Amino acid sequence: MPITLENLQHVYAANTPFSYAALNGVDLKITEGKITAIIGATGSGKSTLVQHLNALLLPTGGKLTILDRTITAEEKPQHLKSLRKQVGLVFQFPEYQLFEETVLKDVAFGPKNFGATEQEANHRAQEALKRVGLDASYFEKSPLDLSGGQKRRVAIAGILAMEPEVLVLDEPTAGLDPQGAQQMMALFCRFNREQKKTVLIVTHDMEHVLNYCDEVVVMKDGKLFTHQKVTDFFQELSLLKELNILPPAVVRMREMLNEKGFHIPSSTLTLSALAKEIRNEVKHHG
Amino acid sequence: MDSFALGRYVPLNSVIHRLDPRAKIGAMLIMLICIFVPTGFVGYGILFAAILSVVLMAKLSLNFVWKAMKPMLFMLVFLMIINILVLKTGVLLVDLFGLTIYSDAIFQTLFIAIRLMLMIMITTVLTATTKPLDLTLGIEDLLQPLTAFKVPSHEIAMMISIALRFIPTLIEETQRIMKAQASRGVDLKEGKMKEKIMAILSLIVPLFVSAFQRAEDLANAMEARGYAPGAKRTRYKQLKMRPADAVLLMGASALCGLMFVLWLWVL
Amino acid sequence: MKHIEVKDVSFRYDENSPAVENVSFSIEKGSYTTIIGHNGSGKSTIAKLLIGLLEKEKGEILIDGLPLNLENLMTIRSKMGIVFQNPDNQFIGATVRDDIAFGLENHCVPTEKMDAIIEEYAQKVNMQNFMEHEPTKLSGGQKQRVAIAGVLAMAPEILIFDESTSMLDPQGRDEINRVIRQLHAETEMTLISISHDMEEVTKSDYVIVMDQGHVMMAGKPEEVLLEQDKLVQLKLDAPFSVKLQNELQHLGIHVEKSTNLEGMVEELCQLL
Repeated sequence: MPITLENLQHVYAANTPFSYAALNGVDLKITEGKITAIIGATGSGKSTLVQHLNALLLPTGGKLTILDRTITAEEKPQHLKSLRKQVGLVFQFPEYQLFEETVLKDVAFGPKNFGATEQEANHRAQEALKRVGLDASYFEKSPLDLSGGQKRRVAIAGILAMEPEVLVLDEPTAGLDPQGAQQMMALFCRFNREQKKTVLIVTHDMEHVLNYCDEVVVMKDGKLFTHQKVTDFFQELSLLKELNILPPAVVRMREMLNEKGFHIPSSTLTLSALAKEIRNEVKHHG
Repeated sequence: MDSFALGRYVPLNSVIHRLDPRAKIGAMLIMLICIFVPTGFVGYGILFAAILSVVLMAKLSLNFVWKAMKPMLFMLVFLMIINILVLKTGVLLVDLFGLTIYSDAIFQTLFIAIRLMLMIMITTVLTATTKPLDLTLGIEDLLQPLTAFKVPSHEIAMMISIALRFIPTLIEETQRIMKAQASRGVDLKEGKMKEKIMAILSLIVPLFVSAFQRAEDLANAMEARGYAPGAKRTRYKQLKMRPADAVLLMGASALCGLMFVLWLWVL
Repeated sequence: MKHIEVKDVSFRYDENSPAVENVSFSIEKGSYTTIIGHNGSGKSTIAKLLIGLLEKEKGEILIDGLPLNLENLMTIRSKMGIVFQNPDNQFIGATVRDDIAFGLENHCVPTEKMDAIIEEYAQKVNMQNFMEHEPTKLSGGQKQRVAIAGVLAMAPEILIFDESTSMLDPQGRDEINRVIRQLHAETEMTLISISHDMEEVTKSDYVIVMDQGHVMMAGKPEEVLLEQDKLVQLKLDAPFSVKLQNELQHLGIHVEKSTNLEGMVEELCQLL
């Protein structure tokens, strides 16, 4: 089941002087089983959008269809809890939501809330922790004693342990060092490839969009600006310029070389492909 | 949060907004004394008219003032019930299946309700027309004489202003953590007692952790910028009394005098 | 001239694990130094030690030739400013204007002189049109710019940026990096930036790489950043141009290494 948004609107504090339209009629179809990046400037509506996916926010207009469920502004949806189990949402800086005495208990908290037995929840928590790269030696530690990066992993494991059908992450790599961020992205990739589950990632990092995502959704002023395959998105530079987005290094390099007389095709999007193209050109000339 | 009116600053440009916070705090204190002078409906009528005209001068909407009072309604209903049950003097008004209501209970409740309403109106005018920072400066200045008695007036003011500065940040944080835990299946409305306790813990523990983190960061930032509690420092914001402030204080004092006259000699 | 000298300094938060161990380095007056390292490598601890928010366990720190100890703390601190990571947690005043004034009040600047200073530094970080704004109405980048103005207003000789851009969006990061570069070009201040941002590192004069509380590499960016294998070992990333050079090397094409894209393009053009 794909996720579809039809003319989705969200107005904060409607009917007050502080009223603010964060989403202005968004039509969007998220492809099932893919990793989709959601990008856009701060305030473009990205966070508001993803909070609709597990019904933390309800639309003030339009329609949202997700996993056989339809949410509209008119009817108050029932049983939100089952939707929240199926759509795992990881907030920005999720390490701030840890509260249990031990890492294992904290990760098991979600599954237990959604009706898993103690034993089942613990089992799932252990699996999830292993998946994020934390072995049994961490299980009984207090989350407060971990490093920032480890806390983030525990928090993400807490969502993975719910065994969601769709995983949504709001800037999951913010504040991590480059290698920590890459490992994190690789983790989401594995989750997507191994379990064939849909992943949505809100991010500002174009290197991550290029290297780890299949599709890209660009939000601008509460509207959908464009929705493309990542491989197409980084071919067309005028769009990136219009959005004031700094392209990934490989794209910048490609364009700078082409300005100086190289003829590297715009489909060149990886380091090794770029190196090969350069070799061909150099040999060609030599 | 937008419907929250009690204690909220409303950025407008009015005569009342421009007054010195010290004068406003002083006038408020005088008015509070007025309210507690037992003058009956006549006195309360005069006070209400006076306060209402200040509300209008401050360009505040009556709806806003009403919203500030609303949270007190529940308390008044509670008070009414207590009074009805306890006060059995005056004229018997109702006698239904053994439930008796006497006139004094009604009057007593009404008086308290009016006083409470007037007090909320007064304080709402103060907080709605005075920036929180100016309010703390005013408090600092008014507490200044007490430094002789080792009252740390500056530190108190600094604490209040930092608390005020971080209220919006902490509200935002609370909402964020609530949403994050809701995503993990926390439901504050339903569930058994044990689940509810866990739900509350899942909110409070992270909030404390984050508040302490913020406090530590803030202390570092303040120290790095040369702040040392108790050390001598200058002040950027200076308060200045103007003729209008004197008028306000004199007005409030005159009103207070009138109330005493009413109480002691007229009524 | 050496502005900062760190000699054999150690520090630990708890008994077992040292956060910083036997660290030594020096920083030239007026230079722009970046300190890099993965999370938990001890780089932020260094910043807090330099400004005396943490007390070293052993070793010596000299600022402008003056040893950093309890006696000199206030003198030294008046020469130094620091901008921290979290934009929300260092905004002290109720408005932009009040926040810039905060440091001036602490330094007992006469009230009548404050307005001119506040205006001057607000302009320097391009926040002069937001003077009466409250922090909740500002973006992360704007809040950090206010923090910079607040620190600059105290006329420090040394300015430390402790991961000041790591919580910002690309636009905010850009704003802050631009201010840092502008300060480097226009003032004599000694600048230290603790960062993950490899692009920014290439623009500094000097790089210190930390890992597990030790200084692992130090030198000019054009020396340090070329060592891709070593950087990866230290859980860091090499600049794209260096990675490309290595990839080309594998394909049998030899070009000179460069730390930035522009330099690499020039090298490659010579092969055409």
